[in-house]
Amino acid sequence: MKRKAGWASQLYIWLVLFVMYLPMIVVVIYSFNSSRYSNWEGFSWTWYERLFSDRDIMQTLKNSLVLAFFSCSLAILLGTMGAVGMARSRFRTQGLLENVSLMPMMLPEIILGMAYMALFSLSNIPFSMLTLIIAHTTFCIPYVYVNVQSRLVGLDPAYVEAARDLGATQSRAFYDITLPLIAPAVLNGALLAFAMSMDDVVISFFVAGTRSQTLPIQVYSMLKSGVTPEINALCTLMLLAVFMAIALFSLFRALIKQRRRRQEEGR
Amino acid sequence: MQKEKKSRISLTVWPFYIWTALFVALPMVYVVVISFLQRGATWGVTAQFTLDNYLKMIDPMYGAIFLEALYVAVLTTLITFLVGYPFAYYVCKLPARLRSLVILLLMAPFWINSLCRLNGWMILLKSNGVINSILQALGIVDEPLKLLYNFGAVIVGMVYALAPFMILSCYNSIEKMDWAVVEASRDLGASPFKAFLTVTLPLTMPGIVAGCVLVFVPSVGLFFISDLMGGAKTVLIGNLIRTEMTTARNWPFGAALSMMMLVVTIGIIWVYKKVSGSNSLGDLM
Amino acid sequence: MRRTFTKIGLIALALVMTLSLFTGCQPAEDAKELVIFTWEGYVPDDIIAEFEEEYGVTVTYNYFTNPDEALQRLASVDGGEYDIVINSDYTLDIARNEGLMMELDKSKIPNYENLNPVYMSQFYDPENKYTVPYVPGTPLIIYDPSRVDVDITGYADLWDESLKDSIVLLDYDRVIVGLFLKMLGYSINETDPEALAQVEQKLLELKPNVRALNMDTPYETMLSGEATVGLMFGSQVAWVYNEHPDFKVVYPKEGMGFGIDCVFIPSNAPHADVAHEFLNFICDPEISARISMDENVMAINCNLKAEPYLSEEYLNNPALFIPDEVLGEKEFIQDIGAEYAEQYAEIWNRFKQA
Repeated sequence: MKRKAGWASQLYIWLVLFVMYLPMIVVVIYSFNSSRYSNWEGFSWTWYERLFSDRDIMQTLKNSLVLAFFSCSLAILLGTMGAVGMARSRFRTQGLLENVSLMPMMLPEIILGMAYMALFSLSNIPFSMLTLIIAHTTFCIPYVYVNVQSRLVGLDPAYVEAARDLGATQSRAFYDITLPLIAPAVLNGALLAFAMSMDDVVISFFVAGTRSQTLPIQVYSMLKSGVTPEINALCTLMLLAVFMAIALFSLFRALIKQRRRRQEEGR
Repeated sequence: MQKEKKSRISLTVWPFYIWTALFVALPMVYVVVISFLQRGATWGVTAQFTLDNYLKMIDPMYGAIFLEALYVAVLTTLITFLVGYPFAYYVCKLPARLRSLVILLLMAPFWINSLCRLNGWMILLKSNGVINSILQALGIVDEPLKLLYNFGAVIVGMVYALAPFMILSCYNSIEKMDWAVVEASRDLGASPFKAFLTVTLPLTMPGIVAGCVLVFVPSVGLFFISDLMGGAKTVLIGNLIRTEMTTARNWPFGAALSMMMLVVTIGIIWVYKKVSGSNSLGDLM
Repeated sequence: MRRTFTKIGLIALALVMTLSLFTGCQPAEDAKELVIFTWEGYVPDDIIAEFEEEYGVTVTYNYFTNPDEALQRLASVDGGEYDIVINSDYTLDIARNEGLMMELDKSKIPNYENLNPVYMSQFYDPENKYTVPYVPGTPLIIYDPSRVDVDITGYADLWDESLKDSIVLLDYDRVIVGLFLKMLGYSINETDPEALAQVEQKLLELKPNVRALNMDTPYETMLSGEATVGLMFGSQVAWVYNEHPDFKVVYPKEGMGFGIDCVFIPSNAPHADVAHEFLNFICDPEISARISMDENVMAINCNLKAEPYLSEEYLNNPALFIPDEVLGEKEFIQDIGAEYAEQYAEIWNRFKQA
């Protein structure tokens, strides 16, 4: 049964979404405010000009994107392999391993950051993009793992068994049956992990090298020293990028769906 | 160990296993060790075993901080549930295409720096900010209302930052639910409200509990919301740990506080597993 | 199964290889380089650009927000990686004791003689071997006379009942606890338990008057009209005064605290020569004046020859020019050791929690 949502419930949905976006709308508007401190005083591009003339922002943005890309890729690889493998395994330290692997989600960032700083420093690993990627991968893995694992639990083992009965090898069954079924969960986990990586200040501060400062470190530092209008401008541009990505993604999905439908009709 | 349960480890577990051992377990051991050592004279630690760092938490001041943090966390969880559950429920009744759009719109702010978004709230709430300007222009108030730097502002910030977690958990659970059961109970004469209470709510309980855990756990540790929105007048455990690690330069106590937080969190998750009857942490997402 | 592994292995290999590409592409070693580690905006962009141009150097700017975190970060690399660090005075004392500072070669800094001796020979560097004073400052009170009924002359006036819920204080235990200790007739660095208990009592009584605590941007709390009285660092007061010349700046009569953020070269700085060039550059009178007047720095100038380059507006700002007789005996916040630092932090926690 899928009852239609009444007008009241629709109103509620849009109201909540409006409140979610309210602060961002304000940020977008204020990014064009000509005054630095006070209320709205007039339209101006000043903060965008300042933003683009900022000597570091392009570099830190690049660093952050590179970092997010590698740590998410590694997290997807390790997290998915781990979750799939764990479902097939049975060993004594299994429960412990799972609990420990999720701990980065539960520890305060500053503790993790300082522990990494101490460990890298003690083991003479120079602070660089590499140490950043290690740290980010570690706190990204749980998001992928948890998503994939929950999907695997809900999965009917009969699918894989059927494929195996029909003569598929284990890897064949994985590629043809399991992987397509867990793909949405992998994607969900990856998106969350990406968001977490792009938002982290505290851990990054302790493990970043001198040439691998990230955007969030810079943004936090700018906010702390009161450079807020520039940050508003940056936030507006990020919002724009996110919406463009969403639009592209939806378009892409619609195209795939259309193609699949055509193929099915063609058969 | 029973003999029939033959131990087997899938090969794909190994990279995950090694990574976890190296980069999670090792730092954890480091933190645990530090929490049992004495503080150094300028900073760091001296290699001398002590339990003081744990005993120190009995101090009534820390008791008050824990209670306040607990209060904030419970209140945040409750409000996100009251706002988030109906939202998730109604979204599930939308047509499929609209549904994914709404969820996407809900997720989108996640990719914007959280501090930027909080900055938006500051602009809204401050005394010459948007809300006060509108109220004054309409003649509803003469003096600007003091909306910022109080307990309410902290709760607003927390709910705003964490509500999406609750909504997504509830949504996943409601979407999976078999609506036929609800329909059956309606056919048997239950009122919509009663059907909701006796069927829908229990069926979606795992999602609710998962959402509560996902909101509760970070709300204990977040430190910048109370600093920015609350005027730093509310000390939560996250703030306390940060102070101990920086200005107070007491790493061992900071480490001990973190360990305690971790134990409490694991305890909550353990209760969650018992309550939801699930042995999968995965439902947390 | 084996195919799965070869594929996953290949993906992993590809990742690692691209990774090494990224980490490997660092500038050639012989290129002149300088790594600065300080707060955002503390060395203005145009100053850096000019230095890069004049000396053919590429500057990398690293940010921190918390002096203690920065100190710990510096210690974790054993005083290496960074060439120039600008940090608060009490952390300088620790840095020197921990051997994280390099002795300056003053023959490479001809402009060193321009520095005002008033801001030198301090507790963190009594023989002036390691540091160059960058931003001196004293915490001051500023208030909006149109919305405050009392005439504020010192710290004690902050307890006035009419100021309910209207004060913004620095969120910094060492400064605020220290200043109130001074108000009670003790030293800023007092560690006597009796005095600390007394100051805690006073703080708890002040709590109802406190609108907000803010370490980095208390001036925004004033500028948005949220608070009508502020006790904050001199440069922050200077910003408020710049926007609102009608506000009153108060030199608290009970005495003032003082602090200096200094520049130093870490003990294992990779580009110490360039760092010396940079120190000489910022000790140039004109450059020094421009730094002091920059909107992100805005602070007392400590260069003897800079005055001709300072603007009228700057010279008339009461938060930046404090007569010596008013300032009196400057008392610095010094390192009191981890044990007492923690006691201060505990007092501060109880104050916030109240």
